[in-house]
Amino acid sequence: MTAAIELGGLTKSFGSVRAVDDVTAEVRAGRVTAFLGPNGAGKTTTLRMLLGLVAPTAGTATIFGKPYGELADPVRQVGAVLEASGCHPGRTALDHLRILATAARLSRKAPLRVLDETGLADDARRRVGEFSLGMRQRLGLAAAMLGDPAVLVLDEPTNGLDPQGIRWLRGYVRQLADEGRTVLLSSHALSEVEQTADHVLLIAHGRLIRSSTLAALRAEAGAGCRVRTPETERLSALLVAAGYCVCPEDGDLVVEAAAEQVGELAAAQGVVLHRLNPMARLEEAFFHLTEQPEQPSPVDGTSLHRATT
Amino acid sequence: MNALVRAELLKLRTTRMLRWLVLATLLLVVVTIAANVSAADADDPALALHDPALLGQVIGISFGIPQVLMTVLGALAFTQEVRYGSITSTFLVEPRRSRILLAKAVALVLVGVVIAAATLFVTVALGMVLISAKDGNVTIGVQFWQVVVAVVAAMALYGLFGLALGALLRDQIVAVIATLVWLGPAEHLLIDVLPEIGRWTPGGATFGLLQLGPAIATHGTLLGAPVGGLLLLGYTAAVNGLAFSVAPRRDVI
Ligand SMILES: Nc1ncnc2c1ncn2[C@@H]1O[C@H](COP(=O)(O)OP(=O)(O)OP(=O)(O)O)[C@@H](O)[C@H]1O
Ligand SMILES: [Mg+2]
Repeated sequence: MTAAIELGGLTKSFGSVRAVDDVTAEVRAGRVTAFLGPNGAGKTTTLRMLLGLVAPTAGTATIFGKPYGELADPVRQVGAVLEASGCHPGRTALDHLRILATAARLSRKAPLRVLDETGLADDARRRVGEFSLGMRQRLGLAAAMLGDPAVLVLDEPTNGLDPQGIRWLRGYVRQLADEGRTVLLSSHALSEVEQTADHVLLIAHGRLIRSSTLAALRAEAGAGCRVRTPETERLSALLVAAGYCVCPEDGDLVVEAAAEQVGELAAAQGVVLHRLNPMARLEEAFFHLTEQPEQPSPVDGTSLHRATT
Repeated sequence: MNALVRAELLKLRTTRMLRWLVLATLLLVVVTIAANVSAADADDPALALHDPALLGQVIGISFGIPQVLMTVLGALAFTQEVRYGSITSTFLVEPRRSRILLAKAVALVLVGVVIAAATLFVTVALGMVLISAKDGNVTIGVQFWQVVVAVVAAMALYGLFGLALGALLRDQIVAVIATLVWLGPAEHLLIDVLPEIGRWTPGGATFGLLQLGPAIATHGTLLGAPVGGLLLLGYTAAVNGLAFSVAPRRDVI
């Protein structure tokens, strides 16, 4: 199956800052793709180029094979929620959506339908200036859904949502993907997309560093554990000698090895353990992958530690 | 295009700004007319009570501040969308950005014409009543109709002027202050102090278009109405040409 979204050598420089650097990637339909990277990684800039709002310095970005600007009836094909996009505070939510629906020649019922879908039906006639951050985020999503699009581009959609809101968004996004739509959502926190995303595009410093399924990333990250011992230095030295990556954290040691291996090694050497917890190493893998490229890749625990703090 | 214009009109209707603007325009027009008619005097060379051109002059003068307000409305049409970030959704709906600018231009011309027409009813009625009350000359002749047409045209052109200025400057505060400073003190000072130069400014051209030379005591130094009108049209076209070629290419951050 062909990709719904294709980025080819996409590059953007702002003066001397290379915000996006030669990004090539594909986003397929029917699944949730997370565009993941730390602050300033270039996510927003990439999404804005995809939507024709920012002109690339080089490269191409297409949706269904065409640049956004050449899509017929773009609102019916692509819905987007972007950072720093909003609405006049004096306008009601319904009026805001009516304006967009009018411009896009959508049905008169579309605004009410999307307000209902995003849980804003009761606030339709309130001024947007009175809205909370989360309500504004929902309004953005409502605007994106106006044309019932097959592709959704969401820039940090969980910003400002409370835990219930985040959960609701997860379900909503999941449902949209299950309906066969393409969902591309950006986030700076892996934990946020861990339960939603099928596929991950990892970006840091403008460069795409990984495109893989979340499952593959998880397998690659491997097992890890957190261990507490009164003999921190001795155990640390033993583990490093055994070839494991060790990282001190709050008096504990975080080890890139399965709990069983650490437990067996400690028992064999007679090191007392107070606690030994297995942990998912995905979060660390994320930090590891997105840290400064200028820094040497961590050979021992300390540089990994630095990247995590 | 039709849909885009309707959306732009809806934008104007769904905030309070337009209502305030219409209210302010009406109020200012009434105050200016009352002040000018009461200042008019049989011996006053500027506003002569028995001059058949008096009604037209009073009407022309009364639209001075409404023109500034119309320019501000035009400037806000673009800069407010930048400020509140709705420009993003506007451009997502219609990625051909010059069509958005064009829709805004059409909407502003419509609004300018409607405001001017509505205000003119009040203006003319009030002017006639007040001038008659002082036994002044109320003549509805060619010059009166010329001023009426000129007022409507000027309101429409100033809206477009503001739109282009806003699209070029993008920042709401900067655009509004630039408008107020230039159309307020700057031009008036130039026209007063250096009429030879001042008459070539957009404001000077408008005074010419409205045939206000005698009323502001610079008779003979202003341009004639047709030349003034063409010059104002030229300025508006030039700044819009620049806006239409520059604004659509910029990144929307
Ligand atoms: N208009 C601009 N002018 C100059 N530099 C910019 C501009 N917009 C973005 N940048 C720079 O480009 C880089 C990428 O920014 P971008 O907003 O795309 O990051 P992001 O991944 O969305 O970050 P965040 O998670 O904080 O939203 C940053 O270094 C930023 O400073
Ligand atoms: Mg961002």
